[in-house]
Amino acid sequence: MPHIFCTGCGNGTVINCTLNAVVEMGWEIDDTIFISGIGCSSRAPGYVATDSLHTTHGRALAFATGVKMAKPDFNVVVFTGDGDLSAIGGNHFIHACRRNIDITVVCMNNMIYGMTGGQGSPCTPSGAFSTTTPYGASEPVFDLAELAVAAGANYVARWTTYHVKELTKAIKAGMETPGLSFIESVTQCPTSFGRRNKQRQPSDMIDHMKTHTILLSKKKRLEEAGQKVPDDYFAVGEFARRNRPVMGVKNK
Amino acid sequence: MKLIIDESRCKGCNLCTLVCPYNIFQEGSELNSKGIVVPSLDRPGRCTNCRLSKLYQRRLCGVCQLICPDQAIHWVEEEPYEPLGVVIEF
Repeated sequence: MPHIFCTGCGNGTVINCTLNAVVEMGWEIDDTIFISGIGCSSRAPGYVATDSLHTTHGRALAFATGVKMAKPDFNVVVFTGDGDLSAIGGNHFIHACRRNIDITVVCMNNMIYGMTGGQGSPCTPSGAFSTTTPYGASEPVFDLAELAVAAGANYVARWTTYHVKELTKAIKAGMETPGLSFIESVTQCPTSFGRRNKQRQPSDMIDHMKTHTILLSKKKRLEEAGQKVPDDYFAVGEFARRNRPVMGVKNK
Repeated sequence: MKLIIDESRCKGCNLCTLVCPYNIFQEGSELNSKGIVVPSLDRPGRCTNCRLSKLYQRRLCGVCQLICPDQAIHWVEEEPYEPLGVVIEF
């Protein structure tokens, strides 16, 4: 400390929430492992005083699977970004969800490749500008939480860095749930994303998250009533909590 | 309990001013030695929850500490208030 994240970067907030959840769970330093891939978000385990693995691009979940299989007693938490998880590590993510390994995945979705200069990622909203989408992104957005639900994760939630209390609770619930728990945190990136999209100040991006989120239950209710939810709104809340067969937990 | 902003860690993103429900944090106006505008605290540096947490066993809301990306905000314990400890000079 002070760490390398830019002014107003939401990754520090997600670290705070995760560490608070770890403290509430009462995990020991010696049997907790933080794993990350490559990117801004993946700098996080370096600032935590536990064992940590900084692995190759997109392979954080593959390394985490190995750690969990070798040491089923350890608590494994994976920090990863949207480009790391969904673009390069997409297949690892799908199959980790399918196998339902007992790890907690915290995805900091800042909608861009932040560290390498702001290229568009699969999560870049349509119409947003980045260095590889100078006329506005035209591709549809990858909804990571829905993907995790479809692939079979046991606990799936999505919150933003504005909803810090809910994010902490969701991470804690994910740590308590056996099986793969996936918590997506929509994070602001004022330096690479906001600068090109008229949200230069960190507070502008937080305001955007505050006004453009809708609770999942409310969204479902609106859709049942036949009302239309605007396209730029995204749902937050708990997407799934279930008891599918789990891999990587020691049989007692 | 009193709020403290660690100036060596703060990067001046002003997220605490945005989320505090008691408006304890205000946007600063002067550059510090590192060239960063650190948010200024309300004069006593205490919000309603900080002040009353001991008295009523209230839980701190702690949103400022949770949202601070640079881990710059923390609390310090204070001496309890003593009415006879005030020295009046004539």
